[in-house]
Amino acid sequence: MPGYSMNDTYDLIVIGAGPAGAEAALAAASLGMTVVLIDEGPAPGGQVWRAPRTASAKDKPADTDRARGDDLRARLAASSVDMRPRAQVWDVRQGFLVSCISPQGACVLSAPRLVLATGATERIIPFEGWTTPGVFGLAAATALIKSEGALPGRDIVVAGQGPLLIAVAAKALSLGLRPRAIIDRAGYGDWARALIGFANVPSMALQGARWMAQIRLAGVPMHRHCEVIKSSGRDGLSGITVRSLTTGATTEIAADTLYIGNGLAPGDDIHRLLGLVQQPDRLRGGYKTLCDADRRSSLAGLYVAGDGAGIYGALPSAVQGRLAGLAAALDHGALDAARHDAEARPLRRQLARYIRFADASCRLMQFPVTALDGVTEATIICRCEDVTAGDIQQAMEDKARDMNQLKHFTRLGMGPCQGKMCSMNAACLLRRQADLPPGDLRLTPRAPIRPIEMEQLIGTFDYADIPVPKPAPL
Amino acid sequence: MSGQQYDLAVIGGGIQGAGIALFAQRAGLKVVLLERDALARGASGVNAGTLTMQMTRAALIPYALKAHEMWLNASQWLGHNVGVVACDGLSLAFTEAEEQLLEERGTARRAAGAPISLISATEALKIEPGINPDIRMASHCSIDGYANAYLTGLAYHRALTESGVDLCEYTPVSGVEQVGSGYDLRVPNGVIHARQVALTGGVWIEPMLAWLGLHVPIKTLVNQLAVTERAAPLMRTVVGIASGLLSLKQYPHGTVVIGGGWQGEGSRVQNYHRSTHASTVGNARLATHAIPALCQSRIVRVWTGFEAETADALPAIGPVPGFPGLWVCGSAHSGYTSAPYMARCLTQAILGEEPEMPLFPIDRLLARPDAAPRNKEQDCP
Repeated sequence: MPGYSMNDTYDLIVIGAGPAGAEAALAAASLGMTVVLIDEGPAPGGQVWRAPRTASAKDKPADTDRARGDDLRARLAASSVDMRPRAQVWDVRQGFLVSCISPQGACVLSAPRLVLATGATERIIPFEGWTTPGVFGLAAATALIKSEGALPGRDIVVAGQGPLLIAVAAKALSLGLRPRAIIDRAGYGDWARALIGFANVPSMALQGARWMAQIRLAGVPMHRHCEVIKSSGRDGLSGITVRSLTTGATTEIAADTLYIGNGLAPGDDIHRLLGLVQQPDRLRGGYKTLCDADRRSSLAGLYVAGDGAGIYGALPSAVQGRLAGLAAALDHGALDAARHDAEARPLRRQLARYIRFADASCRLMQFPVTALDGVTEATIICRCEDVTAGDIQQAMEDKARDMNQLKHFTRLGMGPCQGKMCSMNAACLLRRQADLPPGDLRLTPRAPIRPIEMEQLIGTFDYADIPVPKPAPL
Repeated sequence: MSGQQYDLAVIGGGIQGAGIALFAQRAGLKVVLLERDALARGASGVNAGTLTMQMTRAALIPYALKAHEMWLNASQWLGHNVGVVACDGLSLAFTEAEEQLLEERGTARRAAGAPISLISATEALKIEPGINPDIRMASHCSIDGYANAYLTGLAYHRALTESGVDLCEYTPVSGVEQVGSGYDLRVPNGVIHARQVALTGGVWIEPMLAWLGLHVPIKTLVNQLAVTERAAPLMRTVVGIASGLLSLKQYPHGTVVIGGGWQGEGSRVQNYHRSTHASTVGNARLATHAIPALCQSRIVRVWTGFEAETADALPAIGPVPGFPGLWVCGSAHSGYTSAPYMARCLTQAILGEEPEMPLFPIDRLLARPDAAPRNKEQDCP
């Protein structure tokens, strides 16, 4: 196609330069394969091992995530992996053809093998006012801490569930920002049960214990088994209403910033676009993409690793990535079966240990089945298009019985996030309806998987070169 | 539903089928509408919603004009909002060849009754200041506009429910058989009997007619569309290009829908369709060439849908020869624009009345008896 370089052909394309994708790329490249590693971010590391951007972030003492990220970035820089930072994948075809745009323009990369390591998206249980400026996700908070070395807000509250809750609260304290409160959906018992799983990875368990101690020492009020049901403030947040899940009692807390998150779900747009076999995963959230022990998906030549295929966390993702890279090398003929087995076997064992830790984490993060039961009619579900729970109720009364029809009836999912934020929550509401047709409650996957800048898409062209077929009959 | 007797069974819940079901029920028939998916989610719900004369075949202009009037009065006969906006339409010429195309096509369409006139670049820029000043000329039509195609299902769902049509979504029909003075329809939980049947399955009219041993080849086009994020006002008319390979309009909420029949890929047999990289880029290039300010926008979604086309690209609307009480309605070409009126005309025939305007009987399209129906349906290219 004019204006497009189609000659960028590799042995392996890896999408996502987090722990999973980077390790996959490194493993394959070290065995002589030509590898390209594509990522939306400016530097490898993904979300958890994100590189610092500002001087203030760089000056902070490096924690383990930062150290692991720095090590990863150094190994990539020393490798033969072709890095494509700031590149957005918008379409992937079998074969494999990967359509990207970046500030350098548009390109189509091709390779017979592909590793998808696309990471996760954060979930938030919607409540009245969750779209008010001043409300951020927990994952967004960790990204800000790592790259900017700062967090917005003076009177902050940290809310939601899972290990991220404790991580963000502790890191805020390290930045000199004392949360006014921590609102945890989980109770003591939930955390106590999780400890058994956490014990499988002592280094991580220790880090968690340190965070907890830090929070206790600072005397941050902890509201256990509670949820945020409302936030107030018109142009910016002024306060939140917290309800006890045990007694139903409510408390008002003044705050200008709320960090809240209710777990993660795989970022599986490309997986779905290519029709990979998936199955719902209540524990890990969303859908997991089925694969074998070496990360081969249901489509030949396609490997999945990291949270995009099912939520496990950074360390297991790195191991999965390495397994995917080794499997790609084996299938490519760059590695013989005996050596593959010798390399892969200890990794699989390591993974089994990590999984018990990951399961405990996921149990704490698990998106509650009843999460949307208390949602009020005025609560916005689709923030791009301002579709409320009441609008969805009306559409259900008009007999919208699948996600695509709900989209048509309400515009839910038609905005820039393409339903990534809202579709699972909308499905929770839709599922209440009796008489649903068979099938998953999901929107049809489509390219572009992200909004694309028109200017980057069209590139430079001559009008005369646009291929115009024969006009329709008159 | 199963075991019931109806005056009319309509198979296919697109805009044609929904219209026929609505008009027939209101005229006093007992009607069931069967749709294997949800209402108006095929071509009727995913097309560009353009209500234009400038892309309509000259022979169909009289129908499209009547239908355009119906669309503007949808609140009266449909009773629900499909977001119809009436506006001017412009078709642009950037090359000499396109100028020639505009002249030739404008003349034919004007002769058929469309108020189309050729205007200079200066005049066109006065009507639509956002267009590329490099244009050589344009054709202008004062009858144009658009609807929100994705609201079709909601509007018809409400209207059908209110009228009392038995609406069965997610109910695939697997066969139709002539029994006595009517027809038996096979559905998942039994059989429905109807005195008359209308086949309104879009591209699936071909396999539907095959139930009765008839073969009418229907070509499947995979039309591709894109939509931008909400943007500040960029344009107020429907803008096309002489070749017909572009349709652009900005909806009141700010999104710009980019269409023009660029081809995706797909298969009717597998019920699969998707966009292609080349068509996404080509269509976007044409769009930004016509309205340069679109360069600053972002494409949020691209989608595809099937369009049905007969061998002569004219509609298949009328009685099915040899099967009294069996009707077909589809392949209308620019079908969304003309659909309400086509549905009205066919309903008149179903009710035993003389249609307001002539139908498009399918006798001309029937494959010769010696050309046995293909065993395997063919995919589009």
